[in-house]
Amino acid sequence: MIPCSARYVSDERRATSDQETVDKWEVQLRKGCLELAILAALWGGKLYGLEILRRLESDSDLIVSEGTVYPLLSRLKALGLVKSEWVESDAGHPRKYYALTPAGKKRAQDMAGIWTRFSASMSKLLAPLGKGIR
Amino acid sequence: MTMADDAERRMEAYLAQLRRRLRGLDDEDAREIVAELRSHIQDKAAAGGQVTSAGVDRALAALGSPEELASAYLTDDLLARAEVSRSPLRILESLFSWAGLSLAGFLVLMVSVVGYFLGVVFILVAALKSFHPRTAGLWILPNGADDFEISVRLGFGGVPGSGRELLGWWIIPLGVGAGCALVLLTTRFAIWCARQYRKSRALPRG
Repeated sequence: MIPCSARYVSDERRATSDQETVDKWEVQLRKGCLELAILAALWGGKLYGLEILRRLESDSDLIVSEGTVYPLLSRLKALGLVKSEWVESDAGHPRKYYALTPAGKKRAQDMAGIWTRFSASMSKLLAPLGKGIR
Repeated sequence: MTMADDAERRMEAYLAQLRRRLRGLDDEDAREIVAELRSHIQDKAAAGGQVTSAGVDRALAALGSPEELASAYLTDDLLARAEVSRSPLRILESLFSWAGLSLAGFLVLMVSVVGYFLGVVFILVAALKSFHPRTAGLWILPNGADDFEISVRLGFGGVPGSGRELLGWWIIPLGVGAGCALVLLTTRFAIWCARQYRKSRALPRG
């Protein structure tokens, strides 16, 4: 009785830790794409922080926290990939708008090229698995 | 659009806490971060057309605690600095602020201080060898029958009574080499830790 229930618990635990591993992998994957996602969101023109967040949420599966995006924007600025300016708004307070610099545009295109090649080859490799999933 | 007084007070208290924890950054940068987040909270809380007290609370909760948010800014700043310049002084400056926010930051600071310190000592001993040829160097000093210590001496004191110097003039190239290697390794270590820290925080939600 006791060994039996012990095994049950350990199997259960392994199943959750497998799920955790997969979840962690997904988090890393999303995080790795975040920089490119932000640069891509700015491709069409300048946006302020909340607009970038909303763009990421509506146009992609990347549900990201505000506590991540703002520090990352400040890093991208320190690296010279984006520039910022304060613009007065109707809301009664100014907003900080971000826009790509030439270096940021180049970085976005380089990363997008790598992404496209990578995802095409991964899709080819993963095609046989897809039949079992859906 | 106006905000309920108590909601505004809570927002300003949050921003003041954040501001205090961003001390390691340039003043200008820290001021801008606070202004940007104030504008973000005002926009977010007004999403329904009217700024509500509950809206402010939701916006603050979504940003995370001031400590976490400041840590994210400081480690991102450290990584950005490291990409632009690898000056140990600038890296130490960021590490000092990070250390005040989390145990991880504190441990990384401690190890980095020791690493940089030893690196500087090795470079100094190499530089001072020409001025103190008889006393500067790597010494092995007996403390007892089977006990001895290895000591890097800058050569300011007298010649140690017993013991002998190990490297002679070789301390100059070896000291410079070991010192530079230690400084570089310490910088790499600090950057690696900052990256791991950023990765470990489960930031994207969903």
